[in-house]
Amino acid sequence: MSMIEFKNVQKYYGDFHALHDVNLKIDQGETVVLIGPSGSGKSTLIRTVNGLEEIEDGQLLVDGFDLHDPKTDMNKIRKNVGMVFQHFNLYNNKTALENIMLAPRLVLGREEGENKRIAMELLEKVGLADKANNMPSALSGGQKQRIAIARSLAMKPKALLFDEPTSALDPEMIGDVLDVMRDIAKDSSMTLLVVTHEMGFAKAVADRVIFMADGRILEDNSTAAFFDNPTEPRAKKFLSQVERH
Amino acid sequence: MSMIEFKDVQKYYGDFHALHDINLSIDAGETVVLIGPSGSGKSTLIRTINGLEEIEEGQLLVDGFDLHDPKTDMNKIRKNVGMVFQHFNLYNNKSVLENIMLAPRLVLKRDEAENKKIALELLDQVGLADKANNMPSALSGGQKQRVAIARSLAMKPKAILFDEPTSALDPEMIGDVLDVMRDIAKDSEMTLLVVTHEMSFAKAVADRVIFMADGRILEDSSTEVFFENPTEPRAKKFLSQVAHH
Amino acid sequence: MSGFFDAFTGANLGYLMGGLGITIGVSVISIILSLIFGSIVGVVLFERFPFFSSFVGTLNNIVRNLPLLLIIFFTYFALPQFGFHLPIFWSTVVAMSVFQSAMLAEIVRGGLEAVDVGQFEGARANGLTNMQTMIHIVLPQAYKKMIPPIISQMISLVKDTSLASGIVLAELTYRGQIVYAQNTNFIVPVLIFMTVVYFLLNYGLSLVAKWFDSRLA
Repeated sequence: MSMIEFKNVQKYYGDFHALHDVNLKIDQGETVVLIGPSGSGKSTLIRTVNGLEEIEDGQLLVDGFDLHDPKTDMNKIRKNVGMVFQHFNLYNNKTALENIMLAPRLVLGREEGENKRIAMELLEKVGLADKANNMPSALSGGQKQRIAIARSLAMKPKALLFDEPTSALDPEMIGDVLDVMRDIAKDSSMTLLVVTHEMGFAKAVADRVIFMADGRILEDNSTAAFFDNPTEPRAKKFLSQVERH
Repeated sequence: MSMIEFKDVQKYYGDFHALHDINLSIDAGETVVLIGPSGSGKSTLIRTINGLEEIEEGQLLVDGFDLHDPKTDMNKIRKNVGMVFQHFNLYNNKSVLENIMLAPRLVLKRDEAENKKIALELLDQVGLADKANNMPSALSGGQKQRVAIARSLAMKPKAILFDEPTSALDPEMIGDVLDVMRDIAKDSEMTLLVVTHEMSFAKAVADRVIFMADGRILEDSSTEVFFENPTEPRAKKFLSQVAHH
Repeated sequence: MSGFFDAFTGANLGYLMGGLGITIGVSVISIILSLIFGSIVGVVLFERFPFFSSFVGTLNNIVRNLPLLLIIFFTYFALPQFGFHLPIFWSTVVAMSVFQSAMLAEIVRGGLEAVDVGQFEGARANGLTNMQTMIHIVLPQAYKKMIPPIISQMISLVKDTSLASGIVLAELTYRGQIVYAQNTNFIVPVLIFMTVVYFLLNYGLSLVAKWFDSRLA
């Protein structure tokens, strides 16, 4: 059963054709990495999946819901499809614990005792149990991102979207965040779609690699096939530029 | 003759002791890389050298001038010590060519034809001769940074300070900027001080590596010695975290 | 509505247009003076010179917090007691310029503070003096962003010239009152006339703003 399915999707910003002929199918439990030069449309694509961007043409089905159908209730989709952002987007006016507990309380109506227990377990899992009562401003970038991941996990989603989760982090913090993501990827029922430049992570964890440029999907392969023998010349060029230094 | 010399320098932001007991001597022609976790004081240290930050105690001599002496004319120092910033800081209201020509015209009173010739040569050197009449807003991050480097070179400085020059760039653009920096480093008269996280660049180009943490210099070794056998435990830890992924 | 245009005899119309001329005269001169002084004060506030800037800042704050009408009265009635005798027209210009300079100084200061600090640092690192940085890099970028609030302030100025009717400056509003004092039937037509004239003046100013914006964008 496919979790995410794009059929001939087109997206425009005014006259600019941002996404061309996107055809993509991601099954439940897959860990897919989306790479490409900046401006290739990777972020735009991932943001259509939970409705932060709209599509103009084609069909996009997420968890069985048709996103282009005006009758679709986006909130139903977002309960099951979480997102982790490049700039964390934690609630600045709430503690770490509150950040994690808020949506389950308001959206899922989770019972308070259960909510707190799950939140503390997640904080433990991402290694930040001692920061439960801190405000986001007191945390480092890497810590904020791990809280953001815990916040998404608290909704017990079927899929998690990661939009360049480590791009805004200082290098010495990237490893800890990738470790958390690695653990999540091991969960075979969770679907992950990750936009990233971290090739080491991709090689270690992804089932599949999708290469985009100029708003199109140019290559869509298993991880081993992609890194050993990319067919697209632009993909080859990109890999050499990124791995150069 | 030392180009840059710190003697027991202390710096405070209010009560916060940002730089502790800095002792450092950099000779003309050296290429020195400054690394360490974020918040270690690397940027603060480099910014004291051209007076963008002040020191409270100790002695700082740059190109023979005493920075702590109120009679020192900072503009004399800045003619000879250029800086390249993480966020480029190009003049947004001037074309690329004008960005490069402005300071030589106003500060060095360079003859206009000579000024233009040198500027175009530098643009060629950084691979952007075709962008001479573009405004900064039309350039990518990597292109902006290469223009910024050309702008510093146009003043024919004795030393250039680089404050995390590639940290704000998309990965596929980092290589081009590092190539330009590699070329500059080859010039044996030019003194370079580079704050960076790019370890392979450091290994390839630096004469010396300085490791900082919590506002102190913890290790100061030649490049081979540092990477093969760092003595400081914090330096070892940092290297493993950065090389992790 | 046959009587509507009765108010606008040749003599009355000529008289009213003369008032408009005075309104425009006071406005234009005050705008120019306040742009000059407002910019200077704005830069002084921004630079935070020791002592001088706080002194200027305090004076500026005092002026900004006074009613313009009070300042107008002060220039016309109080200044002569200190030996400065200005005709009504110039009293008005002085009062408006002082007040508007104070308002503009804040706008200029805010505009300068809104320029990304990286522009200053890039210029200083490049060897430019503070003055060169302001003239070539910072002020041009700051002014581009300040055009909307400056034009707003100018529009306020034009409207506020009507306050000078309080010291018998024979500008448009004052003359309007003289005209409709002749006949109560003239009140509505004359008020409508003045409304339209002020609107066109200020709308014209905002079109100038849009033109500047599009040229500089």
